This record gives sequence, structure tokens and C-alpha cells, in this order.
Amino acid sequence: MNNKEKAVGRRMPDTHIMTILGLMVLVIIMMLIFQPGNYFTLMNLRSMIYQFPEYGILSLGMMACMIAGGIDLSLVGIMNFTGVLAALIVKNMVTEEGGMAAPAIILAVIVALAVGGLCGAFNGFIIGYFNIPAMLVTLCGLQLYKGLAYGITGGPAINGMCDPFKEIANGSIAGIPYALFIFIVVVLIVSFVMKSTVFGNEIYFLGSNAQAAKYSGINTLKVTVMTHMFSGILGGCSGILITSHLNSAKSSNGETYTLLSLLIVVLGGVHPDGGKGRVMGVVLATILLQMIANALGLMHIDDNTKTFINGCMLVAALLLDVYLDKRAAKRA
Amino acid sequence: MADEVFLKLVGIKKSFGGVHALQGVDLEIRKGEIHCLAGENGCGKSTLIKAISGVHIPDEGSIRIDGEEMKNMKPMDAINRGIQVIYQDFAVFPNLTVAENIALNGELKDGVKRVSWRQIHKVAAEAMARVGVKIDPDIRLERLSVANKQLVAICRAIMNDARLLILDEPTTALTAREVESLWDIIRSLKEKGIAIMIVNHKLDEIYQIADRLTILRNGSNISTGAISEYDQERFTKDMTGRDIVQQKYQPAENKEEVLKVENLTRQGSFENVSFTLYKGDVLGITGLLGSGRGEIGEALFGLAPAQSGKIWLNGKEISIQSVSDAIRNEIGYVPEDRLTQGLFMDRSIRDNTIAASIRSYLKRGKLDEREMEEATERWIREIDIKAPSTRPPVRTLSGGNAQKVVIAKWLNTDPKLFILDGPTVGVDIGAKAEIHSILHDLASRGIGIIVISDDLPELVQNCNRILVMKDGRPSGILDNSIDEVSLGKMLIGA
Amino acid sequence: MNNERRVSLALTSTPMILIYVMVVFCVIAAIRQPAFLSPATLINLCRAGIFTMCFAICEMVVIISGGIDVSFPAIGCVAMYVPMYMYNNGMGVDSVFFFFGVAILIGLAFGILNGVLVAILKLPPLIATLATSSVASGGLIMLLGTREFTTLPPSLDWLYSINLLTYTDPATGFKYPLTILFLVPVILCIVVALVLRYTMLGRGLYAIGGDKNAARVAGFNVKKLQFTAYIFCSVMASATAMMYTTLMHSSTTTALMGEEMIIIAACVVGGCRLTGGHGSVGGTILGVLLITLVQNNLNMLGVPTSWQIFAVGLVLLLGAVLSSIQAKRIEKLGKI
Repeated sequence: MNNKEKAVGRRMPDTHIMTILGLMVLVIIMMLIFQPGNYFTLMNLRSMIYQFPEYGILSLGMMACMIAGGIDLSLVGIMNFTGVLAALIVKNMVTEEGGMAAPAIILAVIVALAVGGLCGAFNGFIIGYFNIPAMLVTLCGLQLYKGLAYGITGGPAINGMCDPFKEIANGSIAGIPYALFIFIVVVLIVSFVMKSTVFGNEIYFLGSNAQAAKYSGINTLKVTVMTHMFSGILGGCSGILITSHLNSAKSSNGETYTLLSLLIVVLGGVHPDGGKGRVMGVVLATILLQMIANALGLMHIDDNTKTFINGCMLVAALLLDVYLDKRAAKRA
Repeated sequence: MADEVFLKLVGIKKSFGGVHALQGVDLEIRKGEIHCLAGENGCGKSTLIKAISGVHIPDEGSIRIDGEEMKNMKPMDAINRGIQVIYQDFAVFPNLTVAENIALNGELKDGVKRVSWRQIHKVAAEAMARVGVKIDPDIRLERLSVANKQLVAICRAIMNDARLLILDEPTTALTAREVESLWDIIRSLKEKGIAIMIVNHKLDEIYQIADRLTILRNGSNISTGAISEYDQERFTKDMTGRDIVQQKYQPAENKEEVLKVENLTRQGSFENVSFTLYKGDVLGITGLLGSGRGEIGEALFGLAPAQSGKIWLNGKEISIQSVSDAIRNEIGYVPEDRLTQGLFMDRSIRDNTIAASIRSYLKRGKLDEREMEEATERWIREIDIKAPSTRPPVRTLSGGNAQKVVIAKWLNTDPKLFILDGPTVGVDIGAKAEIHSILHDLASRGIGIIVISDDLPELVQNCNRILVMKDGRPSGILDNSIDEVSLGKMLIGA
Repeated sequence: MNNERRVSLALTSTPMILIYVMVVFCVIAAIRQPAFLSPATLINLCRAGIFTMCFAICEMVVIISGGIDVSFPAIGCVAMYVPMYMYNNGMGVDSVFFFFGVAILIGLAFGILNGVLVAILKLPPLIATLATSSVASGGLIMLLGTREFTTLPPSLDWLYSINLLTYTDPATGFKYPLTILFLVPVILCIVVALVLRYTMLGRGLYAIGGDKNAARVAGFNVKKLQFTAYIFCSVMASATAMMYTTLMHSSTTTALMGEEMIIIAACVVGGCRLTGGHGSVGGTILGVLLITLVQNNLNMLGVPTSWQIFAVGLVLLLGAVLSSIQAKRIEKLGKI
């Protein structure tokens, strides 16, 4: 019994998650010292919550693809494409007086998720069927979906959606933003899929060793298509959120999110070669980055500095990975 | 000249973190001889090669090349003294042409900065002429067969003024004809005074080519001598340290059909393969590489399905066109290459065990973790996988235990037919015997077992019937009264 | 393999298909817009292709060595912005050598950074260079702000005004000059092609892209070769960025961002394999030609401007699929 506990116990302290928690504490302490008045206010907390769900959800899509041994660089394209579609539906269906809002929004959400899924499935099919590196296919996908969004809008943003649509990302109930509920629901669904479904386990198998997966009777093409479809659906979900949040849809919203989501998944402990990674790590990494971004914002540090800092952190996270791998190898 | 010693090792010792890989090895290689180095897996063969080629510096002992004592020999020192190793992966460049692969290393060694293509073609042509092979020098290496890649590697070694050529298990991926032409080339190199050391553990091949033989066991050299001093009995005894126990598997007489295959054909791989497997049978399929032995297994598992022919499993006719067909018909398959095809090295024992049967743990839309855990624990107990728990990644297991995990993966699907390709490759003796007894036990419970292997002693001892394949055609089904030497002769068609 | 098969293979090889596509493209464009067939189109194409060509050669070298570099647009931006910033703030001299020298030094620094990340720390190249990209681009704006320099210093203006030749359209009287900087990609292509083919350095890049381990065993200095590839890429991309400033009369912090996508795709369409070890200058030139042609002349085919991003994406995807099908075909030929 004792022996068994030890074995289980050794798995639990996930070094990545511990590191992220440590960094969170560090940020909190720093802010206690430098900005005690601003940081720990309800308003600031809420402002944080309004921002991270859109890229947090994107990161979960990126995570699924990376665990499967690939990558999805087209997520931002899918997000903007589905956002444009949703905006068009809402704009065209809702009357001047705000009638038809509910059916329009429901339709917009369904279309966004479905189209996101289709875009992802298309990526996945090209990757799996033609055996082309995911990086290349999704780069092309980014161009394609961005091009679709640009072609539909003709360039300028679609603005001024009806109020109920804006409420999705900007509204709140009892002071708690809807966006947080959406994020939590998505996280729960993704964790369930990754942990407790056959599909989720097959993603891990595919990423660990694609050939062994084939020899174990897993249909690798199907899993690849489904993984990217899953990621695309999450992209569609983000599309709704960002369009509602900005009250605007165009082909070039949130272009920094590709890098940001890569940073989040790597920081969250997803292995770039596939096979390893946990939803928990990615969620914590999302929150950590939002905390840092918010802290920097309060110190009046602009977005570009954040980009710089994010780049540095990405390198640091990778180096941590290399170091931990080496240490694990030494132990074994 | 034949008795002049080129390389002399005395008392070579090497340990890695407390594991004594070499415990005082003596070895003598003479100029112009073909010397075989034999031993079971883990006997220290590869460590010894690395010591000779300067990759590992021995802890103790001396290496003398041409009478010169080598201290702290580096890979470059070994190369400069004419020691060339051809590893199993050949270390060639798939994207470069044959000519470049042959000539580039030499040019690099000479410190050439500019590449003269005329020079490269000249060197390549010269090397191919010397070795006696003909390959289009402008073709990219990725288009070559394994045998031709190996020849390119040999040409390259010759151009680097090889005086001792070490080949690490050169025949494992060659067909019968390719092995023959390899031996011809090796003999011609010997005529030129080059010493050859071949690592091999197949006695029939050693008989064909070697002048002398050294047998290594547990990091020490057990015996050395002219090939004529060895008969099969001594060879096996020196290899394993045990007298051969000729206890062959013999199931109870039973006429209950498990699997019947009729005229199974896949163009270019095998044709008209028919056999019947009765309850309790362990059927062996053997043949040289390219004879179609492995392809039959792949066809029955749907990886490269047969184009025509009929298959009955437990009296019911089935069609297998894909892996999912095979799985639906409850067929399990242990692939030849455990590391790349059989296992998820970084995942836990549990994940590996349930990889093929994961769907059966779906309870009310959710995977039942506890049941997966219990199943894995059961298999760890039942087939005696040596692991502290279900958690550690398979990477941490030894070859034998890792192979047991692959077997557990399929046993967990409760198969009716279980095909194993090379089930004991890279498995130590103890685990080998355990795997065999697992197979016998399964067979007696009515599961059809097919063992595909080129390990003849294994087949003779553990299968009650053996299907011999030659050039894609079955050349007979034997019972196990045959001994491995005559079986070996049958493989090459002598 | 018999001769007939060899010919049929050659006729359906990737470069030939690229040529067919371009010919078909030109024919359709010429039918729809007879003006397409004027020398002016050619000169415009050459002008438009200068940067793409230089960047593609940089990227190709990295891809051949088995890596990938998505940081060159950001590095290029730093390299085009910093010298102009220095000049406009009274630092530095007004000399072509100063502007290009500073740009190249900046390229060198980031090239070394990429080399350290990939060759020494062994990080995945895509993610490592993405990180470099954000460090470069974020750091630039953080330290120097976002301005746009649209007036060239006299020395660069002088460089701008040198033309190889000028074509005057007889009908409209418009002048179409071809800048001297067009020689840069031409010379670059020739030099890189020669280096790749006829030096140990070039063969070494192919070798490490083909099999790093075999290269190590053969005695290649793998790290040094990787460094060379990344440094070459950054340095050359920086010089190209300075050329961009000269020709476009503009230097901003984001001018080149997003270019990496098209460039990588041009390489892949031209026969580079992202797994490394494959690719040639000739193929890359074809890839760049195709993409430049498509990017600049889609309206001649009647594709509205707003759909051009999509159309380019489609061409790239088809190119990627095509080269994968070609690879499969060669594999199917069987081993010999």
C-alpha cells in the first residue's frame, strides 16, 4: 500500500502546474507591493474576466491539436471568419427595434460553431489524408479563412450589433460576467472530452506514437480530422466571444492571439512534440498570463511590451521543459 | 599474412552507473579474416563495438591496433586507423545521391571546402568498382532498398581506407538473395586483406561466412575459435549458458478448427497461402525476409489486406480489409518493431494496456478509470510484468516487460486469434520462456496463436506446426520433429 | 525504369506543373486583358518579386537545414526601423553603408539568438523563432515607439534613383523603371545556388536536413551549420528590409509582419520539404514567380481585390497538396 501511494504520489506534483501556481503567487505579491490599491479591486478582477475567455478557449483548441502531435495556426482565422458570419447574421436578422434578437443570436452561435468545425475538419482532412505537416496546412488555413472573412466583409469591420448580442461577452449576472460562465462550461467540456472519452484518449495516443496508434486499431485519419474539428469548434466559440466583446467583426481581429495561445499551451505544460499536456495546466497558464497582462496594464505598460514579455516567457517556458526533460531522463 | 593480428583487446571492462556491460573481454582480430561476434541480447556486443570504434572509452584494459597501444581512443582516432563501423541504420543521408553518400565523408575528412562533382563521381565509381556493386550514382538514397543502402554504406567505408570493417547485424533486413550477394562482397573484401567483424547470432549464417567465432555472454567472452570447432550444441550452450533442453511443445490432439485460411493472396507479397489452425495449435510462420512471412500477419490484421482468398475464424467466414475489420473480428497483433509500432513509450503501463480495448470501458458516456486500472493490475499479476504499479511509463521497462505490455494490450481485447511477429526480439532469456508459456496457455484455451519469426530454435521448440515461406509461396507445413539446422536449410532452399 | 516513364515523370514533376500553371495563368490573363502582355507587366513583376525572392531564399536555406524561421519579418522590421530612427534622431551618418551596415548587424544579432535557441538549446524551431519574433517586434516598439518614416535620407534616395532600365509605354507615356536593386535577388540566387551545390557548407546544410545523426557521425559540425543557416537568414532578411525601405519610401515597425506565411508557402510550392533536406534555388524561384504572379495579377483574372487573400491561400494549399502527391508518387515507384 505504502509503495503504491508513493508511485501515485510521484505523479501528482506536476512540475508545470506547481511552477504556474508559484508564478501566480509571485505576481500577487508584486502587485501587493507596487499597486495595492488598484490591483485588488472588484472592478479590476472583473475587467480581467472579460478578457481572457476568448483566447483561453482558443488555447484549448491549440492544446488539443498539439497533444495530437500537430499544431493549429489557423485558429485566429477561424475565429474571425466565424465572427464575421455571426455578425452578418445578427446584423441582418435583427430589426431596427431589436426584434428577432433571440433567434438571430441562436442561429449565429450555431452557424459559428458549425462553420468553425467544418474549417477545422477541412484542415484535419488535408493533414491526415495527404500527410502534410499540420504547421503548413494550418498556415494555409489561416490565409484561407482570413481571406474568406476579408472577402465577405470587403475589408471594413462590421460594427454595431444589437445589444443582446453585445451582452454575451460584456454582460454579467450578479456582478459575474457571462463570459466567465461560458469559459467554465467550455473548460469542463474540454476536460471531459480529453479525459473521459474514447476520442480524448485517442488524441493522446495519436500524439504519443502515431504508428503504434495505427497498430492498436485507432483510425488515425478520423482522429486527426476530429481533433482539428474540435479545435475549429472552439475557434468558432471564440469568434462569437470576440465579436460580441469588441462589438465588431473583421478579418484581422486578435492577430496576436496565435502567439499568445502557443505561449499559453507551452507554458501550461503541453509538449510541442505531442502526447503530453493537461487542461488544468492550460487553464492556469491562461489565468496567469491574464494576471500578468493586467498587472502590466495597470502599470501603464503598453501592448507591445507585453508582446515582448510574452516572447521572453515562451522561451523561458521551453527552457524549463528542456531542463525538466533532462532531469527526468537522468532519474530514469 | 592471415595470422597477423590487426586488433587486440585485452581485459576490456566498461560499466555504466554500476551496470557492468563488459567484464574483461579479450578479442583478437587478424588481418583478412572474417570474425563473427555472437551473443544473446544484452551480452555487451554493442558496447564492445563502441569501445573498438572509440565511442566509449573502456574503464580498464588495453586496445592495440597494429601493435600500437591506443590510449583514450576517440572516434576520429579509430577512423584514422582504419576502423569503420556500419551500424544497423547505416547513418546515410536519404536526401543525397548515392555518389555523394559514398564520397562526402572522405572529402569532409580531407578538409575539402569546395565540392567537385567530378571528384565525387570518380570516388563513387572507384568505390563501387572495388566493392563490386553497380548502383546508379545519381539516384537519391531514399529510393534504394535496404540492401542497396547497406552496400552504399560499405562502399563509403571502403573509401575511407577501412582495414577493419564492423557490421552490426547486417542480415536482419535482407532477403535470401541479398544475403548471398552480401557474403560475396564480404569475401572479396577479405581477399583484399580487410578484416571483417560481423555481429550475428544466427548459426546457419555464421557457418556460411565466418572463419572464426567469438561468443560473448554477460559481458565476458565465453569462447573463441575456428568455426569448425563449433557444432550446434556447443554454440547454443556457449550462447545461453545452458544445455539445450529439447522439450518441444505438443498440444493434445484436437480437431476443432479455430482458423482456416484458403488461397490467401496479396500481389507482390505472397500467394496461395492455405493453412488450418486447430484448437491448441501454435502455428509458426517462417521464411527469410521478403519471403512473405511478415506480410501474412499484416494481411490477417488488415494492415496490408489480402486481395483474394478466404478466411474462416471459428467456423465463420470473415473478410478483413482494414485494421478495424480485424479488431471487430477479435484479432490481435503484436508487430515486429515493438518500439515504433507496438508501444506508446512515454505513456503509462495502464494507457498502453487499454489502448486497443478502450471502447469497452465506456460506461454511460464516460470512461471508467477504475475498471481500466483494475484490468491493468490484473494483467500485471497474471503475466507477471515486473513494474511497481500501473503508472510508470513503458520507457522505464526492460525489453521483456515492455513486450509483455504489448501482449497484455491484446489479451485485454480478449482475442480469438493472436498473431505475433517476432515476439521475443530483444527479450532476455528468462522473459522469453515466460512469453512462450503464456502463448501455450492461450493456445490451450482455444485462442489461435500464430508466431512469425526467423528465430528457428524458438519456432522448433514452441510451435507444433511450422509454415515455411519461400519467395512469397508456402513451401510446406512441417510438424516440429524437424531440427533447426534442417529447417534453416529449407529456408534458403538447399 | 524505362525511358518513356522517365519522360512522363519529368513532364509531371513539380517544377513542370508550376510552369504549366503559370502559362495557363498568363494565357487567361492575356485573353482577358491584352495589356497584360506588355513589358510593363514584366517590370512590375520583377519589382514586386524582389523582396519575396530574397526572403524566400533566406527561408529556403533554413528549411533545407531542417528548421524553419518565422522571425525574419519581425527582424526585418527592426532592421529597417532602427537605422532610420537613429538617422532621424541625429545619430549616424547619411551613408548607404551606415544604413545597410546597421541593418546587417541587427540581423546578425537576432540570427545568433535564433541559432542559440535552436542549435544549442534544441528548442522546436517554429516555437523558438515565434518567440524571437515577438521579442523583436515587441521590444522594438517598446523601446522606440511607432513612427513612420516616409522621407528617405539623401543617400538612400540616390540608391533609389538608380535604374537598370526604364520602359516607356508608347500608348500612355507612363514610365516603368526597373531599379538596380533588382540585381540583388539575381546575384543572391546565383551565389546561394553555387554555395549549396559546390561547397561543403552547402552540402552540409542538405546533410543535416536529411539526417542530423548521420551528419554528426560523418563529421559535420551540426551546430555550426545550423547557426550558419539562421544567421544567413536573419542577415539577408535585414538587408532586404533595408531595400524595402529604399524602394517603398517607408519604414514602419510592422511593415513586413505576416510575410512569413507567403514566403514559407512559396518555398514549399517550389519543392522544399518542411522535414528538411530538400529544396533548390531553381524550384524556389518558380515558387516565388507563381506567387508573385498570382498576388499581383489576380484582378486580371477577374478576381475582386477583396478575395485575393483567399485566392492566394487556395493556391498555396493546392501547392502543398500537389507536392505531397508528388512525394507519394515517387514513393510508389518502389525501391531499387
